[in-house]
Amino acid sequence: MRASLSRALDALTRLELSVLDALVVAGQTPREDVVSIVHAAPDAVEAALDLLIDRGLVWSSVGGWRAVTGVADALGAGPGVSGLRVRSPDFADPSVLEAALAEITPAARALLEHVVDHGGEGTTGSARLTVLPADAATPAEELISRRLLIPRAGGSVVQAPGEVGLAVRGGRTTREPIDDLPTIAVAERSPDLVDRAAAGAAFEAVRRVELLLDHWGTQPPTMLRSGGLGVRDLKLATALLHLDEATTALVVETAHTAGLLGTVANADGNAVWVPSDSFDAWVARPPAERWATLVHAWLDSARLPALVGTRDPAGKTWNALAPELASHAVAEARRATLLALADLPPGAALAAGTGLPSLLDRVSWDRPRRPRSRGDYVAWTLTEAAALGLTGLGAVASYTRALLSDDKPTGLAELMPEPVDHVLIQADLTAVAPGPLESSLARSLQLVADVESRGGATTYRFTPASVRRALDVGWTAAEVHGFLEQVSRTPVPQPLTYLVDDTVRTFGAIRVGHAEAFLRADDESALTELLHHPKAAGLGLRRIAPTVIISTTPIDVLLPRLRDLGAAPVLESADGSVQVSRPDVLRARPPRERRASVRSTRESARIASVVTAIRAGDRAATVRPAATAAPLTPSGALAALREAIEAESTVLVGYVDNQGVSSERVIDPISIEGGSLTAHDHRADDVRAFAVHRITTVRPLASG
Amino acid sequence: MNDGPLIVQSDKTLLLEIDHERAQDCRKAIAPFAELERSPEHVHTYRLTPLGLWNARAAGHDAEMVVDTLLTYSRYAVPHSLLVDVAETMARYGRLRLEKHPVHGLVMASTDRPVLEEVLRAKKVQGMIGARIGGPDGDTVAVHASERGNLKQALLKLGWPAEDFAGYVDGEAHPIDLDESDWALRDYQRDAADSFWHGGSGVVVLPCGAGKTMVGAAAMAQARATTLILVTNTVSARQWKDELIKRTTLTEDEIGEYSGTVKEIRPVTIATYQVMTTRRKGVYSHLELLDARDWGLVVYDEVHLLPAPIFRMTANLQARRRIGLTATLVREDGREGDVFSLIGPKRYDAPWKDIESQGWIAPADCVEVRVSLPTDERIVYATSEPEERYRLASCTHQKVQVVRDLVAQHAGQPTLVIGQYIDQLDELADKLDAPVIKGETPVKERQRLFEAFRTGEIGMLVVSKVANFSIDLPSAEVAIQVSGSFGSRQEEAQRLGRLLRPKADGKSAHFYTVVSRDTVDADFAQNRQRFLAEQGYAYRIIDAEDLGLSGSTG
Repeated sequence: MRASLSRALDALTRLELSVLDALVVAGQTPREDVVSIVHAAPDAVEAALDLLIDRGLVWSSVGGWRAVTGVADALGAGPGVSGLRVRSPDFADPSVLEAALAEITPAARALLEHVVDHGGEGTTGSARLTVLPADAATPAEELISRRLLIPRAGGSVVQAPGEVGLAVRGGRTTREPIDDLPTIAVAERSPDLVDRAAAGAAFEAVRRVELLLDHWGTQPPTMLRSGGLGVRDLKLATALLHLDEATTALVVETAHTAGLLGTVANADGNAVWVPSDSFDAWVARPPAERWATLVHAWLDSARLPALVGTRDPAGKTWNALAPELASHAVAEARRATLLALADLPPGAALAAGTGLPSLLDRVSWDRPRRPRSRGDYVAWTLTEAAALGLTGLGAVASYTRALLSDDKPTGLAELMPEPVDHVLIQADLTAVAPGPLESSLARSLQLVADVESRGGATTYRFTPASVRRALDVGWTAAEVHGFLEQVSRTPVPQPLTYLVDDTVRTFGAIRVGHAEAFLRADDESALTELLHHPKAAGLGLRRIAPTVIISTTPIDVLLPRLRDLGAAPVLESADGSVQVSRPDVLRARPPRERRASVRSTRESARIASVVTAIRAGDRAATVRPAATAAPLTPSGALAALREAIEAESTVLVGYVDNQGVSSERVIDPISIEGGSLTAHDHRADDVRAFAVHRITTVRPLASG
Repeated sequence: MNDGPLIVQSDKTLLLEIDHERAQDCRKAIAPFAELERSPEHVHTYRLTPLGLWNARAAGHDAEMVVDTLLTYSRYAVPHSLLVDVAETMARYGRLRLEKHPVHGLVMASTDRPVLEEVLRAKKVQGMIGARIGGPDGDTVAVHASERGNLKQALLKLGWPAEDFAGYVDGEAHPIDLDESDWALRDYQRDAADSFWHGGSGVVVLPCGAGKTMVGAAAMAQARATTLILVTNTVSARQWKDELIKRTTLTEDEIGEYSGTVKEIRPVTIATYQVMTTRRKGVYSHLELLDARDWGLVVYDEVHLLPAPIFRMTANLQARRRIGLTATLVREDGREGDVFSLIGPKRYDAPWKDIESQGWIAPADCVEVRVSLPTDERIVYATSEPEERYRLASCTHQKVQVVRDLVAQHAGQPTLVIGQYIDQLDELADKLDAPVIKGETPVKERQRLFEAFRTGEIGMLVVSKVANFSIDLPSAEVAIQVSGSFGSRQEEAQRLGRLLRPKADGKSAHFYTVVSRDTVDADFAQNRQRFLAEQGYAYRIIDAEDLGLSGSTG
């Protein structure tokens, strides 16, 4: 009940709130009395009263109209409230009060006005409460004696009842008229120029959303863990779009609000911002419709892109697309601002300096019960609306009026540039598309040439690299020439033709391919023979030079096959030297019969080594540093080992053996050479070699 | 949609479609504030830069006019952010003013307190300003008179260029008049001199061969005061002297030359950059020239080459009228801002093609001839150090034959062969049997050869880069360049300029560049060709092998 009442009050203008307040002050009142006590034009008051009745805030009781219970509380001391107390039920006739007011001294009058203006209540102090007008010694006693102030609460306070307040204010709830709308400071602008400037911004906004999302389709920025877009990515977008950061944030936020931007997990499993499915459908529509999609989304959005880059109360910078970057009040403020602007007659635009404050006054009058941050909202709305092309040169564009009233913008399509199907190619190797290119054409052209400048028109530059790019994807010289002739409205300049031919000349001069093996011989006939050998068909041989053949067969298969064919190949290593290899001759260990005596000596020998190993293990365990060290990098291990060699100290190393089993050894490092550590191994009680790269940890032991 | 000739891009380039019926009007309307970047055959590119916009402000245009022009001629709607930016940038000019104060002398004043505060807090500015006039809240600050130029430079860097209302000293009066008995000042030259004079100080941009000297002479005739002329070299100094004697009432005795060999100070003194920047024991020994007389006008020839020390000296000459003459505001060191703040804003600019179509400079036929390196040279090239490559590629002997072919094709036409490397030039001179002019050639000999070439006594000259600047060879019809300084655009403009003096019979000039295929030479050539194409000169590329087959191209 309270909440809905509060919302209902929020939607009232200052005049309507004042009428409601008058009803609260006056209690049950007939219509004509309401009209008389509100300081405003009678028609306006009547209209306001009808609206209040319509909204159910005022109802008709026996004695006249009265406000719904709770309104007084809900109004509080907010805007539109006169501050008068409620009229007493048996109020005196206004003429009597006026007569009483006429008799009091100026000092008493001043006191009374002060009380009325400050809540209608005051403390009595030393004033006597029961005096006759003739005996009144002070202004307070004067007022009390004439019952202009009524003692209450056992006499410690006095109150000025509503009817007295009304009388003091000349029979009205306020001294000043409350129905004069603040006027908006305007400057003159031709509606035609306004439309053109706005349409320009509109076209740019659409183009930029497309450009940015197209770019992000291939190079998506990562989503922050907190859900926003990183500062660095925003900066990159700023550079791409030729915009300042605030406007870039607006473009990003609007695209997101319109559902054109979403997130997806990339190959690494991180969330990235990419265009959504609806982006493709959006791109295919005409620019005016695309604009409408964006603008509708923006109008109803609760997002606050203007805050991006500023700091929150905790001192953290706001990121674009951060989920918390929203306020429910902003959408209403946007509409209110634009509607106030749209109310201006065509040809009137917001004045440069004074326009904004006056507009703010006007919006405050329209919706007085709005939060403190509204000043910012209104200012942001103006900037954002200009950037999105809803307004131009400080005035609402004609098509925006339509958008605000019936949600169907008309007339924008005619203002937007029409797509063109040709370019002008010039001798300085640039091509200018004097308007937005048809999209298929634009895509082809972007392949053959680099974009140099964007906007209503696009400038392309041909370079050897850009022409090569087209050749890379399979265009032929003839196709490039044909394409250029087809799209150019003017003859293709000779230097460009030359550039294409010159690029084609060097294109593919160096060939790269894959081969498993190569065969080379000074004797060309030997290679020819090999190539034509009936059994060589399966080897995948191809001759790439008179003395070189390549093969798709791996070397270990190829070598024996070649020998089968009667050739006598030798293997060449990477540095060109000849490698010879003898086949491995396999031998087994001779089987041994283990006789007892032998076993016992062997075992006694083993016992000694086992004991040594156990002791080494014990040492390792007793003097082991408490914490397990983190694995070292090979260079870190080297450094630690060198240190130990110098200090001649004993270290505990983690070592991974041939089988991949990791163990710990207590060793005294002796020397390091060629990636191999020579050290005395306590467990084996012998000098051993360790591969440094297999050492995972090195920790010093307390002492020998 | 508006059917205008202009397309405004959001990156602040303006594309002008020149076949459009309103293109001419549009060009005139945007020329004051947009800088012409490229003018190839169909679409010209202009750019909006802060300097350009401030130049426009200095010439009395306001943001409203710029925005209105853009909106009027633009085919499509104009990007909103660009309009905002134009207004903001233009509003920055003139917030600060340099003025004469009856008591405090030179002062900086502003009606915009925050701007003044911001500027005064800048470290760079602090040493240049004196006490605040009218207490700590005053809107005026005293400026040390000697810092007038430095302050303007610093303020431009801060983005708040000051408007200079402090005026000029008249200088020592000296009667100078144009002597138009056998010639007449061309309309655009008169316009250029007038707009300079009304602006006070500034730069006039005219293509090579369009008669910048005449503009200088006209400016001197307006000033009617003693004049200091700074030129690039001695030969050019002598040419200035000859021209001034021929075109004005000045006599030989009134004009002094101040160079390495001669040190004359006369009512009109022509000094070279070199002598001004000569240092002895770390001190500029010829600085006194600047104060030798009460100069009423300082003329800077070829402003785009003005060396840094001269900028510093110019900072102290702010009370004198200054005119800069140049073919291009593009400086390869990027010091355009210094030219703006120290010499002055651009006062006049005309694109080459316009002047060419008026018939004042000759049309040119630009051809790039590509030679292939023979295999052995290619291998030497491929294995050489990067810093050697350009020299190797551009000095190939293959070029000699091509140059001979070209010379044969244009037999009888005055021809210049231009190169960078002395060895190569000597070889060419030897093979072509033509005299060579290089750095070591004495000035006397140079002048004799140039004179002989002018009169037609010699049909061909082989020249090094000493001939790049300010040497008038109006009779040259064919130029063949074999090597250059790494594709410098400025050099290209200068070399082409040698050819663009109008020919007696209205014939077009021929400009050949011989480059080695597939080498850095060709890469650099691309820069230069791009420059030519951007200036609107159609060029062709042909292979050296086709040279003989295709026959004469003229």
